[in-house]
Amino acid sequence: MNMDYVDTSFDRPAVKVVAIESAKTRRVKVLMNVFAVLIACLFLFPFYWLLINSFKTELEVFSKVTYWPQQWTIKPWQIQFQDKDFFRSLRNSFTIASLAMTVSFVLGVPAAYGIGRFAVPGKKGILLTFLVTQMMPASLLLTPLYLTFTRMQLLNSYLAPALAVASGSIPFIVVTLRPYFLSVPKSLDDAARIDGCNAVTSFFLIMVPVIRTGLITIIVISFLHGWNDLIYSMTFNVSADMRPLTANIYKFMDKYGLKWNNIMAYGVILVTPVTLMFVFLQKYIIGGLTSGAVKE
Amino acid sequence: MFAKSSLYNEREARTGFLFVMPALLFMVFMIGYPLIYNFQMSMSNLDVRSFKGNTSEFVGLENYITLFKDEVFVQALAQTFTFTIWNLIIQFTLGFALAIFFNKKFHLAGPIRGMIIISWMMPMSVTGLLFKNMFGTEDGVINDLLVRLGLMAQNMPIGWMIDGKFALWSVIVANCWVGIPFNMLLLTTGMTSIPEEVYESAAIDGANSFQRFWHLTVPLLKPAILSVLMLGFIYTFKVFDLVFIMTQGGPLNATEVLSTFSYKLSFTEYRFGLGATGAVILFLNLMIVGIFYLRLIRHEEVA
Amino acid sequence: MKHLRLIALLVTVTMLTVLLAACSGTATTAAPAANSSETSAAAATTAAPTGEVVELELWHYFSGPDGDVFDSMVEQFNAQNTGIHVTSTFVTREDLMKQYTMGALSGELPDIGMVDNPDMASFITMGVYEDITAQVEAWGEKDKFFEGPLKSCTQDGKIYGLPHNSNCLALFYNKKMLADAGVAVPTTWAELEAAAAKLSGNGTYGLSMSAVKNEEGTFQFIPWFLSSGGTIEDLGGANTVKALSFLDGLIEKGYMSKDVINWTQSDAKSQFVGGKAAMMINGPWQVPVLAEEAPDLEYGVALVPKDTTYASVLGGENFGVCTGANVEASFEVLKFLMDDQNLADFCEKGGKFPPRSDSITYKDVWTKDPIYSVFSEGMQYAMPRGPHPRWPEISNAMSNAMHEAFTDAKTPEQAMKDAADKVNSLLNA
Repeated sequence: MNMDYVDTSFDRPAVKVVAIESAKTRRVKVLMNVFAVLIACLFLFPFYWLLINSFKTELEVFSKVTYWPQQWTIKPWQIQFQDKDFFRSLRNSFTIASLAMTVSFVLGVPAAYGIGRFAVPGKKGILLTFLVTQMMPASLLLTPLYLTFTRMQLLNSYLAPALAVASGSIPFIVVTLRPYFLSVPKSLDDAARIDGCNAVTSFFLIMVPVIRTGLITIIVISFLHGWNDLIYSMTFNVSADMRPLTANIYKFMDKYGLKWNNIMAYGVILVTPVTLMFVFLQKYIIGGLTSGAVKE
Repeated sequence: MFAKSSLYNEREARTGFLFVMPALLFMVFMIGYPLIYNFQMSMSNLDVRSFKGNTSEFVGLENYITLFKDEVFVQALAQTFTFTIWNLIIQFTLGFALAIFFNKKFHLAGPIRGMIIISWMMPMSVTGLLFKNMFGTEDGVINDLLVRLGLMAQNMPIGWMIDGKFALWSVIVANCWVGIPFNMLLLTTGMTSIPEEVYESAAIDGANSFQRFWHLTVPLLKPAILSVLMLGFIYTFKVFDLVFIMTQGGPLNATEVLSTFSYKLSFTEYRFGLGATGAVILFLNLMIVGIFYLRLIRHEEVA
Repeated sequence: MKHLRLIALLVTVTMLTVLLAACSGTATTAAPAANSSETSAAAATTAAPTGEVVELELWHYFSGPDGDVFDSMVEQFNAQNTGIHVTSTFVTREDLMKQYTMGALSGELPDIGMVDNPDMASFITMGVYEDITAQVEAWGEKDKFFEGPLKSCTQDGKIYGLPHNSNCLALFYNKKMLADAGVAVPTTWAELEAAAAKLSGNGTYGLSMSAVKNEEGTFQFIPWFLSSGGTIEDLGGANTVKALSFLDGLIEKGYMSKDVINWTQSDAKSQFVGGKAAMMINGPWQVPVLAEEAPDLEYGVALVPKDTTYASVLGGENFGVCTGANVEASFEVLKFLMDDQNLADFCEKGGKFPPRSDSITYKDVWTKDPIYSVFSEGMQYAMPRGPHPRWPEISNAMSNAMHEAFTDAKTPEQAMKDAADKVNSLLNA
């Protein structure tokens, strides 16, 4: 098999070549590091605000701006876990997200492959169809989708929100992965054919490994769509035991007020699982987001 | 590549089609009906009184005329475009810049790039509330920071959420906070699929960084760039959650966008016919952009 | 080609597995058997055969401590009535309204549904609620209910539900801040303005209220123009404009924050709690909240300052039986919830007022408590909103006018005139 164009970015050289840096390059590097830290501060500040407010008392959160709690409390956190629905909602979130991810992946990736590498008749029309399905805001798809799911007896199930979320992820996958499939040179395909693969086996044996960075990114994104979904879950799953974690935000937002400290604690909890997922998989995403530059 | 037998081509096409079919059928099933539903309803006068027993009538394009005569609707339409375009410009340029910057070889590049992604992982409901809290006029932390940095006078705080001039910008900032890492992520992914050898041979040929960027990176990334812009446009144009939670379209319609406007018509005033019309108009606008995108990618074929 | 069949098989199997896994996760709480969407329009009053438990579904938006009290009442009902089992589900208020709309379209309505009193008229018109006039008459306790609240449950002489709790607005004031400024509790608009003037400054405002562009804002606006003699039918009239000008004036002079256009009633309460506002306009449901959030805050309550007469606005929620429900069983639940003693118990705990003349005598709190007795007095002056099926549009026109005036987009006169035009066309439609 022709290995010329296989992505070798994961291969680390056995011997690290250390170039002697000039003082100027060193200075530039230091500046870059500093600049990166500034950017991080800018972007992470809201998250810091989220975290720090989750430790404040109600009185302090409402009275003035403090960058460090004058009075620490973990009550907002206790409230999250004391909630009897918490673990059930957590499980629901996870199930809906996994389901949405699976459906999107199973349907979307082959579609991206098909439309990226084959002379499919009406390719433009198909691509347009995928895009078109994205052009309605979710809020206005609710009623007809609700009617559809009622008829299919899928209300108050994991499937209803998952399918609705997938309807947003699939076109995203098609449009995003298509350039990847396009960029794999045809010679690779031809070589595979000569070796005896047909469309399907070459898909699994050649394509998938070559674009695995994109695939993993897509998996994480699809999972995230399902995890963060609020509007579909809330509309189709009225019953409390099928609601995901996102719906719990309304426990802190009622006519008694926006309990900022509770909301912030809740926000941190919501972000954590996907962040963890990201951290563990980051080696494969974009050649390792946190492992440093791949190329200039 | 020279001509293959027509039989091979036909089989190729059919195979490709079969790969696409399941997804296509799924989408048509899920979204096709809602589209038709909304189209139908946009031409009926369904509202509170005609709801029970569905005694609404076909009114043709009357709803469309009503909407276009409504100055709030026109304002929402214009604002949706303004919002979307500013978001795209800022998110794309900064996202691209950051993608390039963090691709350089320095110590903290990797870890910090990874950390920035968090903003995009948060559910919109939480992001919306977070920024609503931060943008408070008198008790908001952003104004507090601006004062401390000497950029703003203490007694003249910017009314981010209450002043029509600034309100849309507060939502734009919040949306960019979420969108920039996302753009960066997708563009970085695209950039890593460009083989190193391409750059090396260009360097050997004497191209400097800028030339390498402009003549190599950008053209090679064109498919990725176009898809990022296209998707970005669609998702931003139909923004709902963020606006609804942060400002609910206020103050006084300064942040009203098409999706919030239609939603309010349907679900708070129960004027379903008009709400559906708003949705259809949103849809038609996106259609035009989508067709434009298709023209741009018509030359993209497998290398 | 054989590969293709293999692939198709694989894909189908995968999808089936996924589907099966998903379907097994369907809710264990069965959809109420009596709530079938295929039921004809004629109410399906299926009498449960003996021994079988009737499953009822109830949707409400009581949250926080209210929600807990309500849930325990439902549990009590379930314990006392072995033939009926009620599952109560919390849905947020905005979402609930949306769910009723979709439920009406698809037939997936609950058996019993809670609704804010001004919204009920629209839902009755849309066919969400079932006519229960016969059941109410047979019950015989209709006359015990106050006129205003009960009216919000009726349309064209037929009754569709029963009012559950009521409230009204009043003026809260920070005793210490008023004492420090040497200000007496205001009773008229003039006094209010003078007091606010003395109390404002150094980051504090004299008054806080809610002026968001939705029902809450309208709710807060109504006592003012009712007090100056305005009416909904004549929104453009001098009396109504006077009220808007007065409030707008407070903002312009710096006695009230311009941020009120973004504040809900609970945001207004937060300002009060945080010492940023010396007085606020709010309702009795905040009393338990203040007790929890600021137990050391010394405050008092007075009637909303008047222009010509005292006025307030009626708030509160109703429960109705939804279309397609098991009417007899559902009405049993309503009878329990609106029972004179039960109602008194619930309202006392939640800082609300029972809409029944007998219940209100059962607890001293409504006559003797220094805070609540003021609200009781205010209930006399509280006027209901509507009822009108197109109330949401009327309400939007009014809160929109408030916004236009407060943001100086229009003068109060122009804002009210434009609102009057919209509202009159709605009222006369």
